[in-house]
Amino acid sequence: MSTNFDYTIEPEVVEGQPKLRDINDAIAKPLETKPTWKYFIALGISTTLLLIGAICLGYSFYYGIGLWGNNQPIGWAIPIVNFVFWVGIGHAGTLISAILFLFRQRWRTGISRFAEAMTIFAVITAGLFPLIHTGRPWLAGYLFPLPNQHHLWVNFTSPLIWDVFAVSTYLTVSFVFLYIGLIPDLAMLRDRTQNKIKKLFYSIFSLGWRHSNRHWHHYEMIYLILAGFATPLVLSVHTIVSFDFAVSILPGWHTTIFPPYFVAGAVFSGFAMVQNVLIIIRKVFNLEHIITLDTLEKMNKVMLATGMMVGYSYGMEFFIAWYSGNPLETFVFVNRAIGNYAWAYWIMVSCNVIFTQLFWFKIIRRNIVVMFIIGVLVNVGMWFERFVIVVSTLSRDFLPTSWDYYKPTLVDIGILLGSFGLFFTLVILFIRNLPVVSISEVKAVVKGSQPSHH
Amino acid sequence: MGEKKYWKSFVDLKSKTLSKALKQQEFSYETTQDFHLNQLDDISRRRFLALSAATVAIATTSCTNYRDKGSIVPYNKKPENVLPGKPSYYASTCTACSNHCGILIKTREGRPIKVDGNPDHPLSRGKICARGQASILNLYDPEKIKKPLKKEGEKFTEINWELAFSELLTNLNTASNNGKEIAIVTKPIYSPSLAKLMSEFQKKFPTTKIYSYEFLESYAKFNAWNKIYPNSEIPEYDFSSAKIVVSLESNFLANEGNFVKNIRQFSEKRNVDKLKDFNRLYSIEGDLSLTGANADYRIPLNPACHFEFLATVLNEMLTNNFNRIQNKNFPSKDVLFLVMSHNLEQFSNKTGIDKKIIKTLVDDLLNNQGSSIIVAGDSVQEDVHLLAFLVNEILGNTKVYKQKPKPSIPKSSLDDFVQLTKKIQNGQVGAILTLDCNPVFHFPKDFQIKQAIENVPFSCAFSEDINETTWHSKLILPINHNFESWGDFCDGYSFFSTIQPVIEPIFGTYQKEDVLFGLIEGKLSSNAFHKFLMNFWKEEVYPKSNSGVEFEQFWFGVLHDGVFPHEEQENLSFIPSYNFIYDWRPLAKESDWSLVIKKPYFVGDGKFLNNGWLLELPHPITKVTWDNYLAISENDAKSLNLQNGSIVRIEYNGKSFEAPVFIVPGIAKKTLIIEAGFGRKVVNIIGQNVGFNPVNILSKDDLEKGYILHNINISATGKNYKLASTVEHHSLNDTFIKDLHKERHIIQEGTVDEYKKGKLQIKRSKEHISIIPEIKYSGVKWAMVIDLNKCVGCGACVTACNVENNVPVVGKDQVLRDREMQWIRIDTYFSGTTDNPSLNLQPMLCQHCDDAPCENVCPVVATNHSPDGLNQMIYNRCVGTRYCSNNCPYKVRRFNFYDFRNHFANGYFYKDSLKLLNNPEVTVRSRGVMEKCTFCIQRITEVLFRSLANGRELKGTDVKTACQEACPANAIIFGDMHDKNSELYYWRNHKLGYFVLEELNIKPNVTYIAKLRNKKSKEDV
Repeated sequence: MSTNFDYTIEPEVVEGQPKLRDINDAIAKPLETKPTWKYFIALGISTTLLLIGAICLGYSFYYGIGLWGNNQPIGWAIPIVNFVFWVGIGHAGTLISAILFLFRQRWRTGISRFAEAMTIFAVITAGLFPLIHTGRPWLAGYLFPLPNQHHLWVNFTSPLIWDVFAVSTYLTVSFVFLYIGLIPDLAMLRDRTQNKIKKLFYSIFSLGWRHSNRHWHHYEMIYLILAGFATPLVLSVHTIVSFDFAVSILPGWHTTIFPPYFVAGAVFSGFAMVQNVLIIIRKVFNLEHIITLDTLEKMNKVMLATGMMVGYSYGMEFFIAWYSGNPLETFVFVNRAIGNYAWAYWIMVSCNVIFTQLFWFKIIRRNIVVMFIIGVLVNVGMWFERFVIVVSTLSRDFLPTSWDYYKPTLVDIGILLGSFGLFFTLVILFIRNLPVVSISEVKAVVKGSQPSHH
Repeated sequence: MGEKKYWKSFVDLKSKTLSKALKQQEFSYETTQDFHLNQLDDISRRRFLALSAATVAIATTSCTNYRDKGSIVPYNKKPENVLPGKPSYYASTCTACSNHCGILIKTREGRPIKVDGNPDHPLSRGKICARGQASILNLYDPEKIKKPLKKEGEKFTEINWELAFSELLTNLNTASNNGKEIAIVTKPIYSPSLAKLMSEFQKKFPTTKIYSYEFLESYAKFNAWNKIYPNSEIPEYDFSSAKIVVSLESNFLANEGNFVKNIRQFSEKRNVDKLKDFNRLYSIEGDLSLTGANADYRIPLNPACHFEFLATVLNEMLTNNFNRIQNKNFPSKDVLFLVMSHNLEQFSNKTGIDKKIIKTLVDDLLNNQGSSIIVAGDSVQEDVHLLAFLVNEILGNTKVYKQKPKPSIPKSSLDDFVQLTKKIQNGQVGAILTLDCNPVFHFPKDFQIKQAIENVPFSCAFSEDINETTWHSKLILPINHNFESWGDFCDGYSFFSTIQPVIEPIFGTYQKEDVLFGLIEGKLSSNAFHKFLMNFWKEEVYPKSNSGVEFEQFWFGVLHDGVFPHEEQENLSFIPSYNFIYDWRPLAKESDWSLVIKKPYFVGDGKFLNNGWLLELPHPITKVTWDNYLAISENDAKSLNLQNGSIVRIEYNGKSFEAPVFIVPGIAKKTLIIEAGFGRKVVNIIGQNVGFNPVNILSKDDLEKGYILHNINISATGKNYKLASTVEHHSLNDTFIKDLHKERHIIQEGTVDEYKKGKLQIKRSKEHISIIPEIKYSGVKWAMVIDLNKCVGCGACVTACNVENNVPVVGKDQVLRDREMQWIRIDTYFSGTTDNPSLNLQPMLCQHCDDAPCENVCPVVATNHSPDGLNQMIYNRCVGTRYCSNNCPYKVRRFNFYDFRNHFANGYFYKDSLKLLNNPEVTVRSRGVMEKCTFCIQRITEVLFRSLANGRELKGTDVKTACQEACPANAIIFGDMHDKNSELYYWRNHKLGYFVLEELNIKPNVTYIAKLRNKKSKEDV
C-alpha cells in the first residue's frame, strides 16, 4: 500500500463513520449535561485570574499608570505587548474559517468553530489594551471620529487611528462570520432541547431556520461571501498593527518587513493557541474522532511553515540592518542580540525558531504531549517577540543619554494574567453554551454524507 | 429711451435683462422677503426655538449656585500698581548664599512667582544660579515654622509672639545683668545696616559677642593669603582678563566664589568669533568637577600630589625658563630652593602625567604673564594655596585679582568657636542666639556645638524651618524669608544693594532684624527694622550720593533699581611678603587613599535640603539626584569589588562615616570625593533620608588645613543603597557603546586650531527630497541657538524652566523609575578613557521640529504645529497614548505617570501655600498627560499681545525664554529665524552650527554651535 499511495485521495476528516445522530449527540453533549466539578475548577481559576487583572486595572485607574513599569524612553511596554500578542492570537480563527474555506480544506471543519470563537475572544481581550494603556482612559472616546461641538477631529495620519478601524472592523466581521455559521447549529439545538429558556434563546438566535433547501442555498452563498470578505482582513489587521511600529521613525521599528512578518507571526501564534486549547477540548469532551490527530498534525505543519517565515524575518532584519549601512539600525539589531535585552531576544529565537524545527519529524507532529509543549513555547516566544520589538527598541534609541531599562511591576504582571483570565473565562463559558464544533459542517464531511451514485 | 442705464463694465452693458433684474434685487426673493420679525406670528418656529433655548439656558444656569465653586473676591479697592494679569517686578538681593546677587522678583496679583537676575547689578548682571532660582520654593514651604516654639522638657509647644519675645528679652537681660556673655552665632553679615543694628545691640547688651562663619569656609586659603599678603583682603578673580586659567581642584564655574560672575566672564572668552581672545583652561584635579568637564586640558591627579605639581611647574619655570619671567622683584633663589627637589622628569614618572602637557602649561603661563591665573580650590590645603599665590605673584597675575565682597562684620576664626564652647562649659555664657544658621549641622562633632547649645542657660534659634540647631534650642523664633524682609547689602567697596519685601509674611512671622531691634527698644513691632534701615541709609549712604534729590526720592530710586553704586574704588595693590618661604613647613604629602570634601553643587550649606527642585536637579556630571555619594574611579572600585551604590565605611583618625560609592570616570587614583551639605537629620519631609553627612570626620585641625584628608581607610560594608541617576551609566571600556554620540554626530567638536585653519568639518546633512509639500512659513518663526562653547552645564536653565513652567517634583522613587519631568536637561557625554575622559555637555530640550515626528502619530491631534513654528501641546485633548514620546528621537517629552503633585511626599505640592507658587500663565498638568518644552509660549503671547496693543510688529528679540534669561553664560539665544538682522539669524547660519540628528530630516529648530577645545597642538586632541 505504501508503495503506490494515491495522494489525490484525501484522508477522511472524521474518523470512523459516525451516524449523523451520533455527531449531534457528541457535540451537543456538553450543552445538555450538567458540568462537572472540573469545569467549575477551570472556571474558578480563569475568573480568579480575571479578578486579579481587574483589581490591578482598578488600581491603575485610581492612582495612575505610574503603577506600571513604563518610564521615560519606554512609553509603551507590557500593555502594548499584550495588545499585539492577543491580536495575533486572534488571527488563526479567520484564517482557518475563511481562507481555508476558500481553499476547500475540509479538515478545517473540526476546528473552525472554535478558532472563530477564539478570534472573537482574543480580539476582545486585545481591544481592551489600547483603551486602558492610555494615561487618561476615560477619554478613550477621543480616539473615535465622533462629531462634536468643538469641531475636533481625529488625526488620520496616526496609525493608532488606523488601529481603531482595523481592529473594530475585524471584530465585527469575525463576529458576523461566527454567528452566520452558528445559525444551522442553533436551529438544531433548538429542536433538541427540552428546556424552555434555552428553547427561547435558541429560537430567537436561529432566526427561524428550518433546514430548508432555500435556507441552505442562501446560507452557503452568504458564507462564501463573508469568507471572501474576511480573507483580506486576516492580512490587513496585523499589517495595520505592525504600522504602529513601522510608521514611526525609530530604528528597529521603521522597517518595511513588518507587515508580512507580523502576519506570519500572528498566524503562527494563533495556530499554537488553537492547537493548545483543542487538545484539551477533544480530550475532555471525547471529540477525538472529530478533531482528529490528522488535523492536529496539519496545524503543526502550518506552525512549522509560519515559524520558519518568522525565523526568516529575524534573519532578514539583521541582514537589512547591515546591508542598509545605517549605523543606527545596525546598532539596534546587534543590541537586541547582545545588549540589555539579549535574554528576551534569545528566549524569542529559541521558542519560535529552534524548538519548532522539531515539527519536521512526523513522530513529534503526532505526539500530543510534545506538540502541546511546543505550542506553549511558541506562544511564550511570540509574546517575547513583541516584548523585544516594543521594549528593547525603545530602551536604546537615538541619544545614549535617554536610554533606560524597563522592568515590569507586579501590576503589569497582574494585568497580563488578567488578560489570560478574560480570554479563558470567555473560552470556558463558550464551550458549555455553544457547540464547540460546527455540527452542520462536520456532518457534511462525514464519509457517506456526500451525494454519490450508488 | 426709457430708463437711464448705468453700467460698470462691458459685460454689464451687454448683458441681458436677467442680470439687470438680479442687480436691482441683490438677494433672491426667498432670502429676505420671507423674514420680517414684526410680521412673524406670535409663536413662529424661530420664536419657539428661541424661547425654548432661553428656557433651557435659564433653567440650567439658575439651578447651579456658582458660589458653591468657591468665593470670588473682586478688588473692591484696587491696590496700587497691581493690574490683574500683569506681572510687577521688584528689585531685591538674593541671600541664598553669600554672593548676594541682584534679583528681580516677578509678582503676579501680589504673589512672587519667579526670580531672575537684576540686569543693573554690577556682579551678577541679570543672572542668578539654580539655587537662587529655586529659592522661591522655600518662601512657600508649607512646613515652615509658623509660631514661636518653646521647648518644655523634650517637647516643643507653640506659644504666641508676645510671650516668646518677653521670654527672650528677660533671658537676655538676666544674662547681661549677670555679666554673662550673649553669643550671637550667624552667617557672615554683609549688610551694613544689620552691622549697625548689631553695634546698637551690643550697646544695649554689652556682653554680646558675634560669631560669624560660613559652611566649608576655606580657612587654609585665608591663612595662606595672609602669609603672602599680610593685612589685605583676600580677592577673587576676574576671569575676563585671564587668557590662561589653571584650576587646581577648583570648581569656580559651579560653586566657588561668585560663580555666576565667573561663568559669565569665562564664557565671554569662549566666543568662536573672537578666536584671538579665546581662553584656555587647564584643570588639575582628583574630582571630576564641572570646571574640569569644561577644561581644554584636564589632568586627573591625586590631591596628595597637588603641591608637587605646582612645585614642578614652578621649578620648570625657574630652572629652564628663568629669562622669560618678567618679574625680577622676587627672591628667586629662595623660591628655587623651595621647589628644587621637584623636577619634571621625576614627577612625570611618578604620576604618569605627560611631560609635554606640563611644558605646554608652563609655556602658556610664561607667554601670558599678567593675564593668566592659577586658581586653587576651596578644599585645597594651605601650602598649595600659598604656592599658587606665589606663582601668580611671580607671573604678575595679581592684575587678575579683583576685590571680593567684604563682610560688614569680620568673620570669626575657628579659635573663636573653640573659645565659645569652652566658655559655655565654664558657665561664662548666659545666652546663645543662632541667627538663621545651623551650626550644629555645619560644625564637626569635635566642636561640640550641640552640647554647647544644650548646656547654655538660654538658647534661641531664629530660623525659617526646623533644623538640627533649632532642635536643641530652648526657644525657636520663626523668621521671614528673604522675600518678606527688608535689608541691604554692601560689597565693602563700590556698591550697595537693597532687599525689599514683595509679600506680607505668609505665616505671620517677623524678620530677624525686627526682633533684634525690638530687643533694643523693648517692644516688638513688625515694621521697626524698615524704619531703622531707612534711617541708616539717610545718615550713612544718602550723603555719598551727592545728588540733589530729596532722601525719599533717592530711597525709592534705589529700591527701584535695587543697587546703588558709588565711587569709592580702592586701587588694588598687593604687596607680597616673602617671609613665609623661610619658615615653610610642608604638609604630609604621601597618601594612600585621599578623601576630598567638597561644596555641593546646589544645596548650599544644607539649608536647601528642603527644596525639591534643587534635590531633583541632576548632578552636573553624574546626573545623580536626591543624594550625595563617594565618587570613585572605575579601577579603584574594581579593586575593592564595589558597584554603584555599595556602601563603604570611611575611617580617619578614629572617626568614621558611611556612604555609598558611585563610579565616575576621571576620578584620580586612590581618591574619593564627597560633597558635604547632605545627610541632615532634622529637616522637613522633603529632605528626609537625603544623602550622607561626611562633615563629622573632620577635626578643627583638618578644617584649618583644608578639606583634603590623606591616608584614610576605606572598607566595604556589604550593604547597598540605591542612587537615583537620571541616565544610565556605561563603562567607557564598553566598546559597543563607546563614543556613539560622536558616531551619531550628536556631539560635534574640534579644536580652535583646526577651525582657524579651516580644517574643521561640521557634518551637515544634505537637503532631502520629500514627497510631502513643504510648509511655507511667513512672518515670525521661532528658533533657538545653543552655543556649546559657552554653556558650562551649571543647571540654572533647568531650574528656571521648572519655576516658570510649574514643572512638578517627582521624588527619588520616580527618578529611580526614570520618570523625571524636567523639560530641559543637560546631557553629559563621556569619551576617551575611563581614567581621563573628555566630557561634552549639551542642553537638550524640545527641538520644535518643522516635520515633528511626534505630531503625525498623535491619534487625537493633541500635539500640533503653530503657524510660527512651535510644536504645541493641547493638554486637554491629550489622552496619553505616549506614542509621541516613543517617536521623539530626542526623548524630550515628559509624561505625567501620576498626579505627581499629589504623589510626591504625601501631596506636599497640594498644600495651601504652595498653590501660590504656580505661574498662573502656565497650565498645571493633570495625571496622564504628556508635556514638554513650549519655548515659553506664555512669554511669546505676552509680547505678542503687547505689540498688538501698541500697534507694533512682533519682534523676535523681544521674547526671552526662561532658560535663556537664566543662562549665566548667555549660551542660549532665542528669536525669529526670519529676522535677518537678529543675533539668532547670525548664529543659526554660523559655520559651526549644526542640528542634532539632522539626517532624520525632521528639521529641528535648535542649532548647536560646535564646541571648540583650545588645544595647543594637534596631537593633544
